[in-house]
Amino acid sequence: MEKIIELKNLTKNFDDQQVLKGINLEIHQNEFLTLLGPSGCGKTTTLRIIAGFEEASSGEVLFDGMDISKIPAYKREINTVFQKYALFPHMNVFDNVAFGLNIKKMDKAVIKTKVERMLSMVGLANYGSKDVTLLSGGQQQRVAIARALVNEPKVLLLDEPLGALDARLRKEMQMELKKIQKEVGITFVFVTHDQEEALSMSDTVVVMNEGTIQQIGTPIDIYNEPENRFVAGFIGESNIIEGIMIKDFLVAFDDFEFICVDKGFPENEPVDVVIRPEDIDIVQPDKANLKGIVKSVTFKGVHYETIVTTKYRDYRIDTTDYFAVGLEVGLTFTPEDIHVMWQMGSY
Amino acid sequence: MRKKNSLFSKFYIAICFAFFYLPILVTMVFSFNSSKSLSKFTGFSLRWYKALLENSEIMSAVYVSVTIAILATIASTVLGTMTAIGLSKSRKIIKDMVLSMNDIPILNPDIVTAIGWMLLFSSLGFQKGYMTMLLAHIAFCTPYVITSVYPKVRSLDPNLANAAMDLGATPYQALTKVIIPMIRPGIFAGALLAFTMSFDDFVISYFVSGNGVKNISIVVYNMTKRINPTINALSTIVIVVIVVILLLANLLPRLGGGDNKKNNQNMKKLVAGVAVFALVLSLVTCVANKSNNKEARVLKVYNAGEYIDPDLLTEFQDEYNCTVIYETFESNEMMYTKLQAGDAYDILIPSDYMIERLIREDYLQPIDWDCLTNAEGLNPDVMNKEYDPGNVYSVPYFWGNVGILYDKTVVDPADLSEGWNLLMDTKYAGNLYMYDSERDSFMIALKALGYSMNTHDKNEIQAAYEWLIQQRDTMKPVYAGDDVIDNMISGNKALAVVYSGDGAYIMSENEDLGFLMPEEGTNLWYDAMVMTRNCENTELAYEFMDFMLRDDVAYRNTQYVGYSSPVVAAYEQAQEEDYEGIEAYVPRVGYEKDEIFRYQDTDIKKLFAELWTKVKAQ
Repeated sequence: MEKIIELKNLTKNFDDQQVLKGINLEIHQNEFLTLLGPSGCGKTTTLRIIAGFEEASSGEVLFDGMDISKIPAYKREINTVFQKYALFPHMNVFDNVAFGLNIKKMDKAVIKTKVERMLSMVGLANYGSKDVTLLSGGQQQRVAIARALVNEPKVLLLDEPLGALDARLRKEMQMELKKIQKEVGITFVFVTHDQEEALSMSDTVVVMNEGTIQQIGTPIDIYNEPENRFVAGFIGESNIIEGIMIKDFLVAFDDFEFICVDKGFPENEPVDVVIRPEDIDIVQPDKANLKGIVKSVTFKGVHYETIVTTKYRDYRIDTTDYFAVGLEVGLTFTPEDIHVMWQMGSY
Repeated sequence: MRKKNSLFSKFYIAICFAFFYLPILVTMVFSFNSSKSLSKFTGFSLRWYKALLENSEIMSAVYVSVTIAILATIASTVLGTMTAIGLSKSRKIIKDMVLSMNDIPILNPDIVTAIGWMLLFSSLGFQKGYMTMLLAHIAFCTPYVITSVYPKVRSLDPNLANAAMDLGATPYQALTKVIIPMIRPGIFAGALLAFTMSFDDFVISYFVSGNGVKNISIVVYNMTKRINPTINALSTIVIVVIVVILLLANLLPRLGGGDNKKNNQNMKKLVAGVAVFALVLSLVTCVANKSNNKEARVLKVYNAGEYIDPDLLTEFQDEYNCTVIYETFESNEMMYTKLQAGDAYDILIPSDYMIERLIREDYLQPIDWDCLTNAEGLNPDVMNKEYDPGNVYSVPYFWGNVGILYDKTVVDPADLSEGWNLLMDTKYAGNLYMYDSERDSFMIALKALGYSMNTHDKNEIQAAYEWLIQQRDTMKPVYAGDDVIDNMISGNKALAVVYSGDGAYIMSENEDLGFLMPEEGTNLWYDAMVMTRNCENTELAYEFMDFMLRDDVAYRNTQYVGYSSPVVAAYEQAQEEDYEGIEAYVPRVGYEKDEIFRYQDTDIKKLFAELWTKVKAQ
């Protein structure tokens, strides 16, 4: 895939505070890329710099290989869907969507066809004359998407566009967005703090924290192979345990040595070990090295979230079997379930 | 229970509306009165509307008010809106600072702002007139626009401008197509506020304007001495225009229906049209002023309000091919303030004691009496008085004295011998008007006690003060201003202290009245024309003064104003034709107890002022 946007050593300071500390990122054509991180991590600032609403303190923004740092927002072939949609309340649905085309002084008839086609794509055919302020949140969302896409941008930026919707509508719109992206075949850069949303929609996920990129990868990579404790913690619930990498394929923690599939660490290197809750099995105490007592059980629908207290820590286990509180149990996992990471700050 | 409540609330609403609208209704009704009275309706007529249209002073004031209001509204709306939008993007500390600073001119009393502007323009050497008034109006309207637009801007989603630019709009397009349409209600409210503030401003306009540029408020204020229903006619027209505008503003958007775009375009056209109209009008004024200036024969006259027949001014200009810039003041002290601020005039028409002061402070230049061919017609009784011995500096304009106007049907003729003490006669308690002026009131008390009204003796002044206190407590007088004229025409009270000229006018409207000049003596006063030291066109100044002394001109002037003319022929003609049998028109001369006010030292003046404040503080 060809590069369309490239960020090189991007930094941004607000007053004395550095909110971006050197961002390097490539965004490819037709890619659905998500910037994921907690609030204040710099993801929205990055997006606003790409859109042209903020200027980077240093670094370059390349678009199709050209530096666009000095090009104002209104000349960039990029459109944005804003957090609270920022629809124009004094215009009806049609005029909102037609705004960009009217600015370009396009022929009225062409505008009409384009806008109507776009409205029917987002499922709002016949809504043209409606007052935008009277639409539901989901409908406003669709208008915002249509308003941006009708300009046929090369890149669409979406700034937490689903944040204001309820859970069900969110799921629906996630599917819909993915569908639209496939249909129009352009690059989407999506900003969210919701890891589930990021994992279910994206081709590429960029995990950010405190102005730096923590990891770039496919959702599966990010989930299964988190590069550090932050990513592991942020992407799904995890058991993160400090351990020692004794040698390749052997890691020690909680008084025991475990065979694993990781290698390439120095011998006796302190590391972080991640084991996902759904990867741990609860067995009879005599069938496992790690032993503990069930501390609590919470029903979560598909599974029980079970907390087991061992000598050193509480483990979280997601299991479809029920174990009563106070029961003594053993915990097992396979070498593939163990994921060894560098400790943060040691690389 | 419920019914009672609703009845009460209806009554309450009715009272409120009556309170708001009754004054307006009265104004409108009396604009159609066939006589001059403001309190008795004598029949329907349109004469005051005709008088309004023929009154060039009012018509040009309407023109000034309207163009200034429109231009100031446009300028302050643009300025204020831009500031408000800019502020919303500024840092908090700047925002807070600017907003608090913006409140100061709003909270500041107008008089302070006005004097500030006057001094600023004077010190910068600006020529006061249309431009200075416009600048001041723009300045005091802008804070109101900011205050009404800023909250609208703040309530906008900050991303709206970004959204517009994101869709390809330039910053200017984002402003005009998104931001402004969204804050339009705020802008509209601000503009409306600015227009009203500008249209009815008096205080600031009065101080920053000059060279004969007057708006409606200034003209009306100077007219109040002889209020006549022309003002009612003008008010009625203004009210009707406002009602029509409000109706249109409320109805047009509804009639336009949902078609926003069309509305916007109509609105734009309307605003553009009004703007162009106002600009053209003001350009015409400027050009007209310029062409006037070319004539080079310009005379600036500063006179008390309602103290000349305006037709005479027109005639003078036609006859002598010149322009008279005519301005009016409310009191001698106000005139003095303007002179001190550096305003330049050629001819002033102040009163005796003020002339004495102006001579002392070297504001005047001597009169060359050879240049006044009509000087022979002057009455020797009004010449060579203490304020200007030998009339070196002053040419008499009007004269008169102060007396008591009494209702012959109420006051016993035998009581008239009491003189000033008639005002202390408890038979008439609660049935009299005093004049709300410290000097005139102390004059009465001092004369009643047999002292000189120009005394510097503290004991005599103290006695006069006690006289006034006693009178206040036993007689319960009403301390009235010029409203005494209309009240006495209607015969509302039995006694009133009035100036002889006002007395003559009142008596010509109400036959039941008589005029008493007390035996203890009274104040004789003279108003005279004087030439300022920096008078630029002395030839024209002499022509003007000579014109005013012409028999026919002096007659028409005294006929119009009602005060006694110093020109013998005019004085006699008026006594025969207009004021026959009206004793107030003929001031007493040669009576030794009558005196003229002399210039007061500041400490004496201060003492009078303090004591008078105490008299009035009940």
